[in-house]
Amino acid sequence: MAMIEFKNVEKYYDKFHALKNINLKVEAGEVVVIIGPSGSGKSTLIRTINGLEQVNEGQLLVTNFDLADKKTNIDKIRKNVGMVFQHFNLYENKTVLENIMLAPRLVLKRDEAENKKIALDLLETVGLADKAQSYPRMLSGGQSQRIAIARSLAMKPKALLFDEPTSALDPETIDDVLKVMKDIAKNEGITMIVVTHEMGFAREVADRVVFMADGQILEDDTTAEFFDNPKEERAKKFLSKIIKH
Amino acid sequence: MSDFIAAYSWENIRYLLQGLLVTIEVSVISIIFSFIIGAILGLTRYIKVKRLSAIVGFVIDLIRNLPLLLILFFVYFGLANVGIRLSIFWSATLAMTVFESAMLAEIIRSGIQAVEPGQMEGARANGLTYWQGLRVIVLPQALKKMIPPLVSQFISLIKDTSLATIIVLPELLYHAQLVYGQNTNYVIPMFVALAVMYFVVCYALSLVSRYLERRLAR
Ligand SMILES: Nc1ncnc2c1ncn2[C@@H]1O[C@H](COP(=O)(O)OP(=O)(O)O)[C@@H](O)[C@H]1O
Ligand SMILES: [Mg+2]
Repeated sequence: MAMIEFKNVEKYYDKFHALKNINLKVEAGEVVVIIGPSGSGKSTLIRTINGLEQVNEGQLLVTNFDLADKKTNIDKIRKNVGMVFQHFNLYENKTVLENIMLAPRLVLKRDEAENKKIALDLLETVGLADKAQSYPRMLSGGQSQRIAIARSLAMKPKALLFDEPTSALDPETIDDVLKVMKDIAKNEGITMIVVTHEMGFAREVADRVVFMADGQILEDDTTAEFFDNPKEERAKKFLSKIIKH
Repeated sequence: MSDFIAAYSWENIRYLLQGLLVTIEVSVISIIFSFIIGAILGLTRYIKVKRLSAIVGFVIDLIRNLPLLLILFFVYFGLANVGIRLSIFWSATLAMTVFESAMLAEIIRSGIQAVEPGQMEGARANGLTYWQGLRVIVLPQALKKMIPPLVSQFISLIKDTSLATIIVLPELLYHAQLVYGQNTNYVIPMFVALAVMYFVVCYALSLVSRYLERRLAR
């Protein structure tokens, strides 16, 4: 049973056809990187996986629940599927520690002492133990993103979605975030779907690369195959453009 | 000068203070009820319940665009016409509450709307339900943004109670009128006293607002 499976999924924003006949299967523990030009539907695709966007046709199975079915309780899926956003979306009215402890307390009813221990361990892992009592507005972008990752991990998710997690960061803070993400990919066995233009990250930890354009998946290959031998003309062009930078 | 000294006899001042007390009573009761009603209406308009939100939105817009004085007349004379008799005090309080509920509903709705959508998305993606996200993340942030406009609306409300003079509510302005009605030399002294009293009450309220803002900002 795949962790995530799209079967002939179609998605519209009013008349605009944002996702066209998407078929994609992600197995448990796999790391999949999604790339493609701006406006190609990467965010839309990844946001359907935890129900932030609804799909209109087809089937979208996430941990055995069909998200295309209106009767499915989305809250059950979100418990198991975390998401890291381009702009972090940390809770502005909560301290860093509370950001991490809130959902486990409210949603999982985790014991308070254990909750705190897990949160502090995670802060240690992302290298920000000294920020426990800070508020999000006091953090740099790179720090915020690492806290956001810690917040997602605290829920012990089966899958984690990343939507351009380093695109809003200053260049010198990107590596800290990528390092945390690589560690998750290598050690935790969590299924990861990552929209990113960081090709070094993709080469190092991705099992597969998916290339999107105009709401379609044009190429879906193993990482080595994709970089060494891309088939689609548009994928080749796109690659040569971003690798030049 | 002697006019001032004579005008400010203890008797007159006490009479003014009685009026001030009525002003404050009407204001406090209206503020409490209109805050509760405004919060319910504002939230309903925000969360978009099919049909209901549109109807609530229409009623809010309708009331907001009527003069308070007209609402006062409706309540006082209009209700009496259909057999509902309210005292002057409760007519004034009801009219203020209806009007202020609509004003506060809009302040509350736009306060919630001013919270970045990313906050709710973060909460939802983190596993919180919509209501948990609203209660724990969005509303506390919205409240902080709402305090200044809420308090300035409360200040308008206090000042607007003077409109109820027209239906002979014995509030501050009305009592002042009675005092200078007996002696025209007292007109200016009474206006000065009125200004001082309204100012003290309203300014105290804005100090409370500033204090709250600072506390919530942390
Ligand atoms: N909420 C929305 N309403 C209408 N159109 C949208 C919305 N979100 C995205 N789109 C459109 O869908 C297309 C894909 O957007 P997106 O998924 O954000 O692409 P990407 O993440 O690849 O840049 C774009 O043309 C965008 O304008
Ligand atoms: Mg995007």
